[in-house]
Amino acid sequence: MIGPQTLVFLLIGASILLILVVVIRPSITASREGKIIAFLALFIVPLVAAGIGASEHMERSEQTQFCLSCHIMEPYGRSLYVDDPAYIPAAHFQNHRIPPDKACYTCHTDYAMFGTIHAKLEGLHHVYVDWFGTPMNPIRLYQPYNNRECLHCHSGARSFEDSPTHTAMMGDLKSNKISCTTSGCHDTFHNVNQLGHVKFWKPTE
Amino acid sequence: MLRKLRLSGILLILGLMVEALSLCWNNALSFMSFVVVGGIFFASGILLFLYSLVSSNEANS
Repeated sequence: MIGPQTLVFLLIGASILLILVVVIRPSITASREGKIIAFLALFIVPLVAAGIGASEHMERSEQTQFCLSCHIMEPYGRSLYVDDPAYIPAAHFQNHRIPPDKACYTCHTDYAMFGTIHAKLEGLHHVYVDWFGTPMNPIRLYQPYNNRECLHCHSGARSFEDSPTHTAMMGDLKSNKISCTTSGCHDTFHNVNQLGHVKFWKPTE
Repeated sequence: MLRKLRLSGILLILGLMVEALSLCWNNALSFMSFVVVGGIFFASGILLFLYSLVSSNEANS
């Protein structure tokens, strides 16, 4: 089965061959058919190839490996392997409560209209700051973590809904009056400054 | 016009090659090279092609 990446490479190869025809023999544009070939080769096909390439890059930018490719994010990647269920990201990652290959994106995107676009723009900002500016030390979220991101998965889940504590404060959780992450209930996150003092989980091959 | 078509084709080939290369890796650098370098080649190639159409029409009229 041909994967999407192979298809992109095939399309790129075909586009280059088509363009080469026009580059080597531009005189073909004297005829009507030649004009059509030139229009396809120099306008339509490159647009399609660039669009598919951009889509592939967007898809890849959601992967954990992509986020961790920046040196500054390395400890955050390590924190996903902390052997302590109190570490919320590690527990979610290790128990596949989130897709492990999209771990960062799943929790740090906005589950709102245009949330994906917002997350991508923030990602571009991260890259800009990492290369041309001075990143925050320690890294902090731009805005407080929104309960909406937790409730996107947990709302409606039996283990969450059956908890009398959650039920009693559901309204406040939904309106962000009480934070899931900072009100003392689930407040252990990446804690990268503590990574020297914790045990790590080693996944079996 | 033919020269512009050639140049436009070469720019687009360069853009496509940058795209192909950028897809060989999965990191921020490859993404940015696709967006910035590839984007410049693609945009200039396509705009030059469109300009060649307009300028040839002007010459004909």
